[in-house]
Amino acid sequence: MKAELSQVKRINYLWFLLIGLTLFSAFMAEQPTTGFKSVVIMALVLAVKGRIIVDHFMELKHSHKIVRTLMQVYFYVIPALIILIYLFPDQIAKWTTL
Amino acid sequence: MNTIVHSEYGREIKFHHRSDRVPGNMAIWAAILAEMSEFAIMFIVYFLAKVHHPDIFQEGPARLNTLAGTANTVIMLTSSFFVVRAVFSMRNNNPETSSRWLWGAVVCGVLYLIIKYFEYQWNSAQGLATETNIFYGVYYYVTFNHFLHVGWGSAAIVWVIYRINTGNYTKDEHEGLINMALYWHMIDLAWITIFPLMYVIR
Repeated sequence: MKAELSQVKRINYLWFLLIGLTLFSAFMAEQPTTGFKSVVIMALVLAVKGRIIVDHFMELKHSHKIVRTLMQVYFYVIPALIILIYLFPDQIAKWTTL
Repeated sequence: MNTIVHSEYGREIKFHHRSDRVPGNMAIWAAILAEMSEFAIMFIVYFLAKVHHPDIFQEGPARLNTLAGTANTVIMLTSSFFVVRAVFSMRNNNPETSSRWLWGAVVCGVLYLIIKYFEYQWNSAQGLATETNIFYGVYYYVTFNHFLHVGWGSAAIVWVIYRINTGNYTKDEHEGLINMALYWHMIDLAWITIFPLMYVIR
């Protein structure tokens, strides 16, 4: 019974955290420009939100390694791409021009 | 790794091998990984279009309705939370409560669709359409695709509610509920990625 209560408490807390991070993102969206610092923050926010859903909502934290890794890697790669695209747009445009 | 650890979830599972357990069945994981790959391709298209048209992608998010995007993010996350609580209730042998949580998720899904409909109408009034420029082309392609997922995902939740109410799931056997929950979380994951790309990052 105690374990059930603590798992409910944890999920409630994580939901509040996700909503807080979303509202913070909305605040960032209202800023006139996006600098490097805010791009990194947004990428980190996405990584944290993704990880919470994968680990706790989908319950993959202690699951099969391959499934867990595939899902977790997604939320390392996309945030990393967000930062790389911001840092090296010309170079990436050059590499991807036919 | 075969270390025995305490499970955080589901009181019926007291111990498990860390590397063995996979929630849901193989079919749902094939579907989820296929869908995640589909969205990944769309995100790569977004990144490529962005580096080739930086000015258009800098202006694009500023003209979208941030309030609608934020509201839908809150709604999607809340619906996922409701689905988790539905799974917990079923594990606690409380199908009626589980069903109620799922109705909450359905309401969220419908609200999402209504807000997205009005957001598209609002865009249209601002003169924003698929042919306006490449940013809005990508935005409409990705968000409409997601819109469809929310639509059929909501229908799947209603089906699971029917299965619960007709006594098809028990505390020990409710794989259909778990599969639907995983699929719905995947739809949520796609949206939390779409939100910063389309509405936040310039």
